[in-house]
Amino acid sequence: MSNLNRRQAIQLLGMSSIGYLLGSCSNDLTTQVGNLSEPLNQSFGELLVRPQHLIPNFSARAINPKALLINTYDLTPEINPINYKLVVDGEVKFPTELNLFNLKKLPFASIIMQHVCVEGWAAVVQWGGIRLRDLAQMVQPKDDVRYVLFESADKYTDSWDLASAIHPQTLLAYQMNGQPLPIKNGAPVRLAAPIKLGYKQSKWVTKISFVSQIPKGGKGYWEEQGYEWFAGI
Amino acid sequence: MTKQRTKSLPIPPQTGFVKILHGLIIISLSIMIGSGLQIYNATPVFGGKNGWTFPKWATLGDWLAGGRNWHFTTMWVFAFTLLIYGIYIFLTQRWKRKFVSGQDLQALKVGQNPKRRTYAWHRLVYTGIIPVLLLAIGSGLAMYKPAQLHWLSGLFINWQILRTVHFMTVPISLLFILVHIIMGIRSGGIRLTQSMFRP
Repeated sequence: MSNLNRRQAIQLLGMSSIGYLLGSCSNDLTTQVGNLSEPLNQSFGELLVRPQHLIPNFSARAINPKALLINTYDLTPEINPINYKLVVDGEVKFPTELNLFNLKKLPFASIIMQHVCVEGWAAVVQWGGIRLRDLAQMVQPKDDVRYVLFESADKYTDSWDLASAIHPQTLLAYQMNGQPLPIKNGAPVRLAAPIKLGYKQSKWVTKISFVSQIPKGGKGYWEEQGYEWFAGI
Repeated sequence: MTKQRTKSLPIPPQTGFVKILHGLIIISLSIMIGSGLQIYNATPVFGGKNGWTFPKWATLGDWLAGGRNWHFTTMWVFAFTLLIYGIYIFLTQRWKRKFVSGQDLQALKVGQNPKRRTYAWHRLVYTGIIPVLLLAIGSGLAMYKPAQLHWLSGLFINWQILRTVHFMTVPISLLFILVHIIMGIRSGGIRLTQSMFRP
């Protein structure tokens, strides 16, 4: 009997050593593991993004302003709405600059969606603004455009696949929960889309570029540190 | 020695294929749990940002993005191993006799033979873990693509319930592993356990 217990103990030790070995894996291996599955996970994510496939709105009762935490990587920029200009450029036929007055002339769209943070929390929010696809239609991206780059007033950067950017529910929002967008949530204009994780939804957006290639080191602030680029949900 | 051997229960032969799948499940489930706890720690399911977090030795991937790397790579291995096992037991008709049966339940209700009762309990327990593992995949998928698979995430009512359900599969799986080891030894001795690992 004691013999049996000893063997049992040895087997259990063997199992826990698997965990120990994995736990002490170097950061390098972790990065390689991520690179291994990223193409597959991206294809899976892209497969799910369809322009005609709309995400149903949540009910207005589900809106929970307290659940929406504020995550900002650096400072909160104060932008005077009167001086604000949104630059839209890149490989487009008609690059342009819009002030808030002209931006708000584009058709208004509203969604009630779940904002999902990579950290694991989520909050139901109503966003109102213009569709990014309407802006794209205005500047006419050239045929080989595949990505959209975003620059923010706080120097935050991000990049999206074109299909997700021109999805009909991807908004440039200037309204939140029926009120003008607060500064800490990205005023005057921020990205809001139900199909991407929170770190893709840049606040204080000042420049949008339609491009055929993402410049080296330009995937985005968090993506360059190791977070997944596609981040579709 | 020979006499003793004939007395002990016959060890069911395990096919090499099942041994490989069993090994893959052990490895992939360990990685899923370790990286899952890493992800958990970014915002604890219980208590939110101020909630208790798991110690570093229990987690895999160094930080949130690393934990996600492991989790969203290994999920394919874990899910496909279970899928292949499902196809295998279906095609070979093993599902008819490998899982808990009416006879087992009868043995648990009125049976007097302790060996038979242990055996029946064990079959009940390892049959029960299968829906739990499928729930881990279903709730995980609902959290991985909550917008695109809104019909799936909608089944869990809200985000907090979804996270709780997904997390609860961890303690249930750990408890199962413990019971599975003990009951395997109690019903077939260490030789039964070894038969699943020896080539």
